[in-house]
Amino acid sequence: MSDLTRRDIVRGTVLAVLGGGAGFLVKKANGQIVWQVDASRCINSRLGETGVAACNLCTTECVVALSAVRAVNEHSKCGRCNICPAYFNITSAVNERGYPSEKLCPRDAIARRPIGKVDPEDPANNFYEYVIDETRCDGCGKCAMQCKEPLGLGSITLRVRYDKCVNCNRCSISKACPHNAVVQLPRAQAL
Amino acid sequence: MSYRQVETIGGQFKTTLTGVATDAHGQLYAAGDSEIAVFDTAGRPRRRWAASQPVLSVAVAKDGAVFAGEQRQIEIFDATGKLMRTWRNQKLVGGVTALGFSGDAVLAGDTWYRAIHRFDRDGKFLNTIGKDNPVNGLLIPNGVVDFGVGLNGTIYAANPGKHRVERYAPGGELLGHIGRFDGNDPAGFTGCCNPTNVAIGGAIYTTEKAGPRVKAYDFEGKLLAVIAADIFDPNCKNMDIAVSDAGDGRGRVYVADTVKLAIFVFEPVKV
Repeated sequence: MSDLTRRDIVRGTVLAVLGGGAGFLVKKANGQIVWQVDASRCINSRLGETGVAACNLCTTECVVALSAVRAVNEHSKCGRCNICPAYFNITSAVNERGYPSEKLCPRDAIARRPIGKVDPEDPANNFYEYVIDETRCDGCGKCAMQCKEPLGLGSITLRVRYDKCVNCNRCSISKACPHNAVVQLPRAQAL
Repeated sequence: MSYRQVETIGGQFKTTLTGVATDAHGQLYAAGDSEIAVFDTAGRPRRRWAASQPVLSVAVAKDGAVFAGEQRQIEIFDATGKLMRTWRNQKLVGGVTALGFSGDAVLAGDTWYRAIHRFDRDGKFLNTIGKDNPVNGLLIPNGVVDFGVGLNGTIYAANPGKHRVERYAPGGELLGHIGRFDGNDPAGFTGCCNPTNVAIGGAIYTTEKAGPRVKAYDFEGKLLAVIAADIFDPNCKNMDIAVSDAGDGRGRVYVADTVKLAIFVFEPVKV
């Protein structure tokens, strides 16, 4: 150890950094490092943010047409509500059937259908499945904002779809996101 | 009709505040953490005791026995907090998030069944209320079954997925309902699933989430008052509610803020 010079230490450190960086780039090129939305940071889904407008930077900033971000409904967490605030604009006028007269999604990307044991007489008795059409969704986040606790159950969040993401070295959404909610992760750790 | 806030009872629980109830003398019982706390009519702490599990609901029988709803069981204490009995029944599968009494029977809201079980005072199962009526039982996306009981034993169950308070006979027959969805008119229930909680006194009292508010309706479903809305934490939900308007004659309404871990007390403003 007595032969170890300061120059050796610096050289070793530089090689380690370069090696790590090279390894990261190889992993990234192989698709093992990906961009993903951290739902606990995203203002559209993180708890404790109420009464604020949905953030749509995932839609406006992504270099991919229609964005690489999609709203995803995790069905195991969904309450299957009759009147889902992510599907209906719940502040729109109530129609003659007792439902909000407007849908929330500006691209009509959410489909609603009764599931399970269906009561043909009273639609309010049923559970409903909400399925997001990813060919229409542009990740605007409105549904995620309405679905989160306490208004909903937080089953809808925004996620980067890897088949659409071009995996930029510096994701333009990440650059714009004021909450640092778009992060790079090993793919195995990403959703 | 309007109400004013007369008191706040806080600092009594560390992590959860799940249930409130009153007894025939107007004393307030609160369930939270793994404890029951008792307050006199002035809101002063009188006594408290530990339960064996986190307590999800509380109710006080006419004879002073204190029932604590927990996961898959009910613990019954005497008025001093001494454990008298623990009920476990194959019908109690989920969390017991509401308790009440109808005649001589004990009622327990079960989140797994999404319904209310009725037992005799010895713990023998009698029947279930709201499970198959008419198709899927009580729709409770919030994970809480809650109900109140009228003086004649009629059960008023919150059915938040349908934006209603449903009225049941003790035998389980659906007698009717009040309530409708409306995202703007305060007379309606907004959001995906409201009201979350209900209590019965001289009126039907309800609490809602997102935004949290407390209201009173007459038994025909006419809105009497928005008792309070702005004082609760905006993220709180499943705010349990209790009334003592038959007890002390002042019509007190107690509401548990589940985030601030405080009980807000309201009285009607005398005109």
